[in-house]
Amino acid sequence: MKTEDEQPDFSLIIASAVHDMKNSLGMLLHSVDNLCEELPEETRAQLNTSTILYEAERVNSFLVQLLGLYRLQNHKLTLSIDEHFLSDLLDEHKAQYQEVFDHRNITLEIDTDPSLAWYFDRELILGVVNNALNNASRYTREKIILSAYEAEGELVIEVHDDGEGYPDAMLEADPGDIKKNINFKTGSTSLGLYFASKVAGLHKESQRSGRIAIANGGKLGGGVFSVYLP
Amino acid sequence: MLSSFGAYHIDMASTADDAMAKCKYDYYDVVLCDFNLGSGKNGQQILEELRVTKRLKHTHLFVMLTAETSKDVVLGAREYQPDAYIAKPVTRTVLEQRLGQLLTQQKLLKPINKEIDLENYSKAISLCSQMIENNTRYKSWCLQTLARLYTLVGDNANAEKVYKEVLKSREVPWAKLGMGQVLNLEQQYHDAKICFRDVIDANPNMVEAYDGLTESCLNLGQKKEAQSVLSEAVALSPRMVLRQEKLGNVCLENHDIEGAANAFRHAVNYGENSVHEQAAHYLNLGRCLSDLSQGKKTDEGKQLAREAISVLDKAGHKFSNDEDASIAALLIEARVYQGQNQLEQAEDTLHKAECLIEESEMSSSVGLELAKTLYSMGQDERAQALLVDLSTRFHADKDTQASIEALMDEPEDLQTRMQAKELNKTAIQQVDAGDLTAAIEAFKAALELTPRHAALNMNFIQVLVKDYKNTQKATNIEMAAEAMKRISHIPEHHHQHKRLKHFQKVIANLDTNQAI
Repeated sequence: MKTEDEQPDFSLIIASAVHDMKNSLGMLLHSVDNLCEELPEETRAQLNTSTILYEAERVNSFLVQLLGLYRLQNHKLTLSIDEHFLSDLLDEHKAQYQEVFDHRNITLEIDTDPSLAWYFDRELILGVVNNALNNASRYTREKIILSAYEAEGELVIEVHDDGEGYPDAMLEADPGDIKKNINFKTGSTSLGLYFASKVAGLHKESQRSGRIAIANGGKLGGGVFSVYLP
Repeated sequence: MLSSFGAYHIDMASTADDAMAKCKYDYYDVVLCDFNLGSGKNGQQILEELRVTKRLKHTHLFVMLTAETSKDVVLGAREYQPDAYIAKPVTRTVLEQRLGQLLTQQKLLKPINKEIDLENYSKAISLCSQMIENNTRYKSWCLQTLARLYTLVGDNANAEKVYKEVLKSREVPWAKLGMGQVLNLEQQYHDAKICFRDVIDANPNMVEAYDGLTESCLNLGQKKEAQSVLSEAVALSPRMVLRQEKLGNVCLENHDIEGAANAFRHAVNYGENSVHEQAAHYLNLGRCLSDLSQGKKTDEGKQLAREAISVLDKAGHKFSNDEDASIAALLIEARVYQGQNQLEQAEDTLHKAECLIEESEMSSSVGLELAKTLYSMGQDERAQALLVDLSTRFHADKDTQASIEALMDEPEDLQTRMQAKELNKTAIQQVDAGDLTAAIEAFKAALELTPRHAALNMNFIQVLVKDYKNTQKATNIEMAAEAMKRISHIPEHHHQHKRLKHFQKVIANLDTNQAI
């Protein structure tokens, strides 16, 4: 007779499936990238290969987030803190999105001091900013500013867009409250925000913890996503 | 793809062997390497070997580029400090970006790295200090390197100063780790422990902190704690062969044979294709399995014995050029057969080993292994004669001498030895409490288990003599004489030899007294 203890752990099943998917996607992405290399410039523009890469990247970052959340739930998400240059990090984002932004006529501006460096987990923060950028690119009109600076002993990374801004309901919600934020009607899960707030919160230094914030206005009059790291 | 980044002279290697060969004859500015390379070495083992054999200069870049994201792989690879670990999938633009950043940094730091490669440490130190004063972008790298260089030239005080300065503004993990390492070097093990614990609390993945903590514990004689710290480190990053070996040895010191077997098993498995692969790992695993399977007729015992034989056979083939290792493998194998009561095979295997042994020239390790096997096969006299002979030949070698004494005292298996040790302890407590009769009984029981133990026999004699002075029991004299007989074999270099001489006199005196 099966007892409840013998029920398979569903989150583990999903996590391992996600892991497999991520690996397959990696292979796929690699092949597509190689394939695109071979194509002449014109054909690439015609086929809109940047969108293929962009969407695949998007799925990849979702999967990474899901795995991160699984680890978070099982207290296995630990940080590898090291010092990184913000300009390196932001330039990497720019490089990644350049092609697709060109295609959509979006300009991406980086605003940071080249000597600004901070201590954080590179991969995780890269993922958080990546997600914010991804989100911004869906709602912006023509411009995004990615900025990083130090304020009151904290590092602030901001993503500004010139879109409509966040809806009021989102501004009022607590990004850490995942259950309330999931809305199947609009398809918004706020999963990215949830993950971002958790990742930021894991960064601790002398009794201060990292956090995130969303607001409207900013440099471009649209939405602003900010991460604060102590 | 790389040539479009402006790289020239690009070599590709499709197998690990090919890559190693290329790195042997050529220096590359940048090595891009996947973790998963099919059969043979993996990427971590390539980096490991390049580091150990110093084929990778500080002025060069090693970039691990791989789809592997499992923790053991990532942490394992990071321990040999590649200049970057880039997770696949990576698009060409991102790769170009990362390589560009790395090359820019490398170019700026080249003057320092060049001096480090030439081992001109004082020059490197002054260059680092200069760059720090100029407040460059890579100040943090320079501080870290500066502190390491100070440690390298033995200037712990200055290294500590750098770490303290950095830690003033923030709990920077590398500085805190370095601080602990300096404290260890300064033999301030208690403070070092606190420091490493802090690092681990904040950065549970920082495996080097576990290593530092292990060192502190071992230096404080806290072997149990050292074992548990090492076990944690090994659970995080199991692919480091030398750490597995260390854990195995600490387990042995803690008499945890099962734990040791596990660690050596991992050392053997992960050691495959590694520059750190060693016969000793196989032999130690064989010894542990031999001890564990000894006399166990259960399925589990049989299984352990089978594993032992297969590991030892493999060692014999793999290290056929290493004569001592091949002989040791056979000798341990003989014990395994004996322990499973397969007497014929045991004899055969012992014979095979003996054919390879030149008695007058054998090394101390082979000699000890042979003695152990002879004891286990009931050839006690031969074993004893061999040990006496070894004791004379290696009288200047303290470690060997200690091993000879230990084996001579107690050729029995670990469990028996532990029981005897407990009884000895009880007996001594009873002597202290003044209950000599109970003490005598406890010593008797202990000697049933390990009759040849020199110190144990002499403790027994001492109590018998003491008791005799009160009771005048003739049986005491008889028992003391028997005990003397049991340890008459101990050689001149045995550290209990003087005590033995002393007791011979005491007993002789008692005898004459009695005669009067």
